[in-house]
Amino acid sequence: MSGPSAPTLPVEVEEPVADEVVKTDRPWIVIVWNDPVNLMSYVVYVFQKLFGYSRQKATRLMMQVHQEGRAVVSGGTREKCESDVARLHGHGLWATMERES
Amino acid sequence: MARRFRTKGDALVVTLEPTELELLRQLPPQLGTLLTEASDESGAKDPVVQRLFPRAYLDPTEEAAEVEWQALVHSDLVKERLAALELVTATLEHATERRGRFEVALTADETQAWLGVLNDARLALGIRLDVTEETDLEAVALDAPEASAYAIYGWLTYFQGELVEALLR
Repeated sequence: MSGPSAPTLPVEVEEPVADEVVKTDRPWIVIVWNDPVNLMSYVVYVFQKLFGYSRQKATRLMMQVHQEGRAVVSGGTREKCESDVARLHGHGLWATMERES
Repeated sequence: MARRFRTKGDALVVTLEPTELELLRQLPPQLGTLLTEASDESGAKDPVVQRLFPRAYLDPTEEAAEVEWQALVHSDLVKERLAALELVTATLEHATERRGRFEVALTADETQAWLGVLNDARLALGIRLDVTEETDLEAVALDAPEASAYAIYGWLTYFQGELVEALLR
């Protein structure tokens, strides 16, 4: 973990414009990771509750997490994914986000 | 024994043995202590706190976004959990005795609070006991130093399972 960083003054920096465009074009994905505590039925319930998935889809994603160690459960803009990750953490699921590769 | 959780009108009614009621009463104060320490520098290093409040970004080049996101959501996530603890405590105070057992009627919001608190309690205990997918609760010796903690974990697992089944019915 990093310590608290000192406040910095805004500095004018020339952004590499082309890179920015490529970066923002790539959508984000939310990943749920396997953990030994969460009940399989609970994970299904949370996927249905948070994302409105059918029982079938929620169960398929839960099984993917269980068997493969991780599953992509949602995706979209950075903001949407940050919100989804926070909601999953609020329900005790281990979730992270990254750019779609 | 009849179903643990049964629906009665809009409510979900749970039946508890006196010892179970006592066990559930102890969860909110214990988790409350953990949560109030979650924002301290030392508390943040606690593996249980790290499990309840994981990072959003694994990519170290997204550290700025991680810090910004934590600043945005962490206090709300703590507050939601503390509110759930209060709600669970309040519902347990309204338990009614019936033939040596206790009944608690839960609204939809109260049911969600119970579900969250049970899950957090299991996550916390699971980390403390270093539970893995290979952990065999049946194999824990009765005289092992952590036997009672494993027994509590086992009961919470069963109990949360019953609650989820009731919600999925």
